[in-house]
Amino acid sequence: MSEAVDHEVEAEESPDVDDPILEVDGLKKSFGGLVATDDVSIAVERGSITGLIGPNGAGKSTLFNLISGFYEPDAGQVLVGDSDVTGLPPHEIVQRGLVRTFQTPKKLEGMSVREAMLVGPQAQPGESLVPIWLSPSSVADAERANLDRAEELLQLFEIDHLATERATEVSGGQLKLIELARAIIAEPDILLLDEPVAGVNPTLARKLAGFIEELNESYGLTFFIVEHDINFIMRLSDRIVVLDRGRVLTTGSPQAVKSDSRVIDAYLGGGGP
Amino acid sequence: MLSMLQYVANGIVFSSIIILGAIGLSLVYAIGNFANFAHGDLMTVGAFGAIIGGSFLTGYVPGTEVSIVGIPLSFYLAVLVGMVVATVVALATERLVYRPMDATPIQLLIASIGVALAYRGAIQLRYGAESRTFDVGRGGPIPIIRETIGVSVTQRHLVIVSLTVVLVVSLHVLLQYTTLGRKMRATADNPTLARVSGIRTSEVITAMWIIGAALAAAGGAFLGLDTLVYPDMGFDVLLVLFAAVILGGIGSVYGAVAGGLAIGMAHELTPLIPRVGAEYGPAVAFIIMVAILLVRPSGIMGDRQ
Amino acid sequence: MIDLTRTERTVLGVLIGACILLAGLVGTGVLSASYLFYLLALGGMYVLLTVGLNVQWGYVGLINFSVAAFFGIGAYSVALVTSPRSPLELELHPIFGLLAAIVVTVVIALLIAIPTLRLREDYLAIATLGLAEVVRLIVLNEQWLTRGSAGVPGIPRVTEWMPLAWVPFDSANFRNFLLVVGLVALVFLIVRRIHRSPWGRVLRTIRADEDLAKALGKNTYRRKMEAFVIGSVIMALAGVFYAHLNLFLGPGDLDPINTFYVWIAVIVGGSGSDRGAIIGGVVIVAILEGTRGLVAVVPADVSVGPLRLLLVGALIVLVVRFRSQGILPPQRELIWPGTDRRASASTDGGEDRE
Repeated sequence: MSEAVDHEVEAEESPDVDDPILEVDGLKKSFGGLVATDDVSIAVERGSITGLIGPNGAGKSTLFNLISGFYEPDAGQVLVGDSDVTGLPPHEIVQRGLVRTFQTPKKLEGMSVREAMLVGPQAQPGESLVPIWLSPSSVADAERANLDRAEELLQLFEIDHLATERATEVSGGQLKLIELARAIIAEPDILLLDEPVAGVNPTLARKLAGFIEELNESYGLTFFIVEHDINFIMRLSDRIVVLDRGRVLTTGSPQAVKSDSRVIDAYLGGGGP
Repeated sequence: MLSMLQYVANGIVFSSIIILGAIGLSLVYAIGNFANFAHGDLMTVGAFGAIIGGSFLTGYVPGTEVSIVGIPLSFYLAVLVGMVVATVVALATERLVYRPMDATPIQLLIASIGVALAYRGAIQLRYGAESRTFDVGRGGPIPIIRETIGVSVTQRHLVIVSLTVVLVVSLHVLLQYTTLGRKMRATADNPTLARVSGIRTSEVITAMWIIGAALAAAGGAFLGLDTLVYPDMGFDVLLVLFAAVILGGIGSVYGAVAGGLAIGMAHELTPLIPRVGAEYGPAVAFIIMVAILLVRPSGIMGDRQ
Repeated sequence: MIDLTRTERTVLGVLIGACILLAGLVGTGVLSASYLFYLLALGGMYVLLTVGLNVQWGYVGLINFSVAAFFGIGAYSVALVTSPRSPLELELHPIFGLLAAIVVTVVIALLIAIPTLRLREDYLAIATLGLAEVVRLIVLNEQWLTRGSAGVPGIPRVTEWMPLAWVPFDSANFRNFLLVVGLVALVFLIVRRIHRSPWGRVLRTIRADEDLAKALGKNTYRRKMEAFVIGSVIMALAGVFYAHLNLFLGPGDLDPINTFYVWIAVIVGGSGSDRGAIIGGVVIVAILEGTRGLVAVVPADVSVGPLRLLLVGALIVLVVRFRSQGILPPQRELIWPGTDRRASASTDGGEDRE
């Protein structure tokens, strides 16, 4: 019966999504006997910044993994733009325009910062063995363009001085910036950020928020962001989705969500009957 | 041409040996989180511990000539000595090599290859490359079994199978009914969660090595009793052990028992395949393993990815 | 002037020193020129094996314990196709031996890679352990094909065409040495080109974090497959060369311990570094020849084989424990040559340039 109520609530609060770039419908996933994601349906408006919050263990990471193809759902559907990506491997979902980042970026051993950046661009001819031998000039042209673009983005994020540093030697905050820049160079339509400011100092966090807003406004890039820092996400987002125990608790504007008693209960750990 | 039943009987004996090795390999895989390529050689260490210790015992301990099920008491004591030796060696290796390394599973795997070569080199250096046999009379097939069902089973076989049953049942009791056992199962299922909930991982890891090494040593001694003791013996069955662990599902003790039984049996039933000789037993185990990896990589009893 | 790091200069110095020493030994008659070239040819063969494993383990992090088996597959393909004493009685031109080696290797590498490369890294390790065993069993038992333990004699030489009769120290070993130098140079140029490219960069990303590579839209399964097949073919090439060098092939030539020599070479040289791989290959020959000298040092009742096994084992553990990056760890950025404007402009470090 609570299921019915949830759907009703969602239907009421989601009329503003009329051009969804990401649609998740009835997504289910359990591990062993543990239900991690239970019938989750979410829509993300094209060009919006949508936040995803919820207490620990609410299923946020699982949801990201399901959307980006790292887990295969037990039931339900994921649509990116107009195409059904359910069950596709991660790299094919990237080709449909959805890119994600990770909560704890691994330091790329043996790579310089710009080398790490150069992994971002899609459809590089030099990633296949045939063009390396048969059309080296196309490889070289793409490489030049990508190097320029990487340099440009590093400048935009004010970390171009790090370009030839070893990626293992930059700070955690800088790594977060590099990760964001690298995701941008992949030219996604929608970017899923998994805790972009976790472990980042407040100054850098503000800076990051600024970059996200700028990218959203000037490129129309859609963001779907998991973040524990409530102030950060409330300030940044147009809409907030709240997950609790594997289900969508509510969806709405930051103000509406903030004053929703169910959300407060969930965060206080009560949850209610 | 042997009867089908005879192959099955041989299969049960070989399976017992593989089960004893596979349990430890699976435990280390789950709790230590790496594929231990030295586990086969740990069986060798146990077998040599038993054969050297056994010959030492017969000289000094009186009464070891008394027989139980046609096997002298000295053999049983020798197996215990082998288990102790393998345990000491395994714990020393853990303290000196694996623990200080703080390495990724892959680095541990590669280090374990080094450990395997070092064990084998050391044994061969000290005891030579030739094969040895346990000083146990070659008693022929037990007449009554031969006459009733036409299968030749020796007293050695009976001892191997029944001691394996005793060891596996003891382990089952330990895992199900003791606190240590519960901790081990919890750690095997989810190491991070176990640590968060206050389980001392180092205690569990020590227990894991003791159990794994002791069972491996018993398996090695039984393999030596059934065939020969030589420095490559353990490495030669390593592939079969891995096949059993993967078939059963990594980290599952009961999976290792089921996988060991199935792979051991397949290994011994190999000659029944037309135009394939007994020497292809390991190849058959390998093919089963690859097939499992294709259709169900988590094994028959595992739910890990 | 080639710009080298300090370690590279040291290594180069040691190599030059070793060459002078060897030349001295030959000059004074302690070492025959022919034997020296034999050792160097063998060294070249190990370099090929090391470069092959470096493509798999060093570039992308694939664990292959079938090095000796792929070497054997290459060598046996040649022996069976070209030798007049082969049970197949084909006696084809060596070029077909080479082709057979490549085709058989590619097929077997794919068969082993397809089920395992989707899974965690250690499954490939276990599966290749199995492959090595199966190859050994087939070579030993299928006498109709391989003559079993009798081995295959009569493999033809492939160096007669070299117009070298005028060289004073011309010998079969000298010619084999030149052949392997050519092979190593060719393979080195090929792998360096594919390594310093976006392809190599994807492999390096997979090695560091495969999930990240996937999240950036890379088909990691495909790339790993390519690296595994290329590495295996290079190992098979070493086998092809060995067959034509030794002219006889038996099951003993597939000794699994060779796999671990090659592993040491890659790790010691510096996983992922092409030049490191070459140094590593040289190191193996030095170890093998060095431990041969142990005979003079150790007591008569100690056999060298087990001692070598023990030392190799200990060395693997020590290298993993204390110097996991190797002598010449990879230092160059994997950027397509000639496209980097910074490289020509920047002057600091000197690490990022050729």
